[in-house]
Amino acid sequence: MKKNLSKVILQIFLISFIFLALGPILWAIVTSFLPLSSLTAKPIDLDPTKFSLRNYFEVLDTSRGLLSGLINSMIIATFTASVALVVGSAAAYALARLSLPGSNFILLAILATQMFPGIVIAIPLFIVMSRLGMIDTHFGLMFVYLSFVLPIVIWILKGFFENIPIQLEKAAAIDGATNSQTFRFIILPISLPPLFATGVFAFIESWNEFFFAIILTRINVKTAPIAISEFAGQYRTLYGQMLASAVLASLPVVILAIVFRKFILEGFVEGAVKT
Amino acid sequence: MATLKLVNVSKRFGEVIACSNIDLVVNEGEFITLLGPSGCGKTTLLNVVAGLEELTEGEIWIEDRMVNDLSPYERNLAMVFQNYALYPHMTVAENIGFSMRLRKRPKEEIADRVGHVAQTLELEKLLDRLPRELSGGQQQRVAIGRAVIREPTIFLFDEPFSNLDAALRMRMRVEIKELHQRLGTTSVFVTHDQEEALSLSDRIAVMRFGRIEQFGTPEQVYSLPTSKYVARFIGSPQLDIFEGDIESTNEQMNYRIGTERFPMPTLTQLPDKPVDLGVRPEHILLGSEGAPAVVHLVQPIGPFTYVTVTWEGGNATARVSGVSRLRPRDKVNVSYDITGMLFFDRESSLRVELN
Repeated sequence: MKKNLSKVILQIFLISFIFLALGPILWAIVTSFLPLSSLTAKPIDLDPTKFSLRNYFEVLDTSRGLLSGLINSMIIATFTASVALVVGSAAAYALARLSLPGSNFILLAILATQMFPGIVIAIPLFIVMSRLGMIDTHFGLMFVYLSFVLPIVIWILKGFFENIPIQLEKAAAIDGATNSQTFRFIILPISLPPLFATGVFAFIESWNEFFFAIILTRINVKTAPIAISEFAGQYRTLYGQMLASAVLASLPVVILAIVFRKFILEGFVEGAVKT
Repeated sequence: MATLKLVNVSKRFGEVIACSNIDLVVNEGEFITLLGPSGCGKTTLLNVVAGLEELTEGEIWIEDRMVNDLSPYERNLAMVFQNYALYPHMTVAENIGFSMRLRKRPKEEIADRVGHVAQTLELEKLLDRLPRELSGGQQQRVAIGRAVIREPTIFLFDEPFSNLDAALRMRMRVEIKELHQRLGTTSVFVTHDQEEALSLSDRIAVMRFGRIEQFGTPEQVYSLPTSKYVARFIGSPQLDIFEGDIESTNEQMNYRIGTERFPMPTLTQLPDKPVDLGVRPEHILLGSEGAPAVVHLVQPIGPFTYVTVTWEGGNATARVSGVSRLRPRDKVNVSYDITGMLFFDRESSLRVELN
């Protein structure tokens, strides 16, 4: 009886949690199909006959900046994630496997960079970037995002590489594999799941970033989050178009998560060694 | 098949000495074991032989080649690891055939050889499985298959059975022994299990603190250990070592332990230093003759029973055939088989021949 009760309480808790988490998303999707007049009406007019794709067509008009924002975001996030993976995996592998002098210090220093809130470094960063002439450039934003994402990528991958049994590499050496063959045939294939996971993470981080994007860009390199924010004007906010843009901007991330879900969850290392 | 020769091999990790001044010759086709407790340097020595660790000093010869500067692969030896180290993303067939794939052998040839190896190891039905889908014994056999396909000149085994349960360990022991009899490949086996070492090896190197304490046949290390350490390490239950005194009267020589005296071989010359007596359980006799003692503990293990007896100032564990009817607090008489008495210098712990 008592057990059933706690089960019911748990279920109520979970259901309300799901509602809290998904509610805003559902509301955003519903809103994105409604005209502004329905949304500003009191009470809100949810007449299904007024549902239309008009908001979507309007925001995709090139003059509105969303399309170029999505393209900019795609370029920056893809580049950031790729470089973070290549540089991060090499650094993580070295920190995990080689006995470097001061590797603990290096790791802590990398972690320490994560401990400052963005607002603290915003002004110095702006000055540095403007002196370097990198305000409103793709490269400038990638550079900044890399500096945020790379430490986390290194820490995640280092933990994973440390868990790859060293005997696998020894066995490969005995089998006649060179270092690069060991990496290509053994280490890389079993590292794919965490590489995908951290890659997706790095992509999402750069894709969603708003604060530094608004500080460090002007006109040319507006990212999707900036483009979305511009639907909120001083005198009126185009809710329907704004949320249609938000839904569109969420799609790449949702697709990424779905495509790589199997990879990310799969525990490839299992069964490598008996422990 | 090849001979393996280690000349004055040392391995240090910074200040820590893992192996020091090791000389060892393994004859062609011989199966030797490096035996010792954890931390004695046996696995390090194996890694040095394999080429996975660089040696600090000395020379390693395989056949008539000095292999110090050769890669593990160029040394043409194969190794089976303690935790198998199977490639987790490859099937059994791919695991076994990996070394051939690296040498870019044609696919048909690889399939052919893998099939042949799988057959001898009874892995044919498992070729498409991933390592995680196999039992511990099957994983172990895949690891052996990966070694066998190389047709190496030397097999190295690094505690390959330590993760298996007792029954499987016995079976794998038989399989390894059969494999060695069939292939006749020179083998170096590392273990901390003295029984495994005795049952598998042509010769055993008992290691301690990075040195080889004794290198000999199973009979030699068991019956004629060079030191107390070897005597205690080999044999289960451990042999009893007594700190007593030799007492000589005109007609009889006795070894006194506590209050009791035990007859020993007559010596022409008494040792000038105190000696300890070591006796294995099978040389301790319980019956109606000898010193009076009291049964303390009875441990039946099937074919034998181990009976521990005590007397004032001493105790001993005897091996009795079959099931013993002795019970704790029973009175018995204990005597030692004169031929099984081992004497050790009390100070140096080395075995001494008395005559």
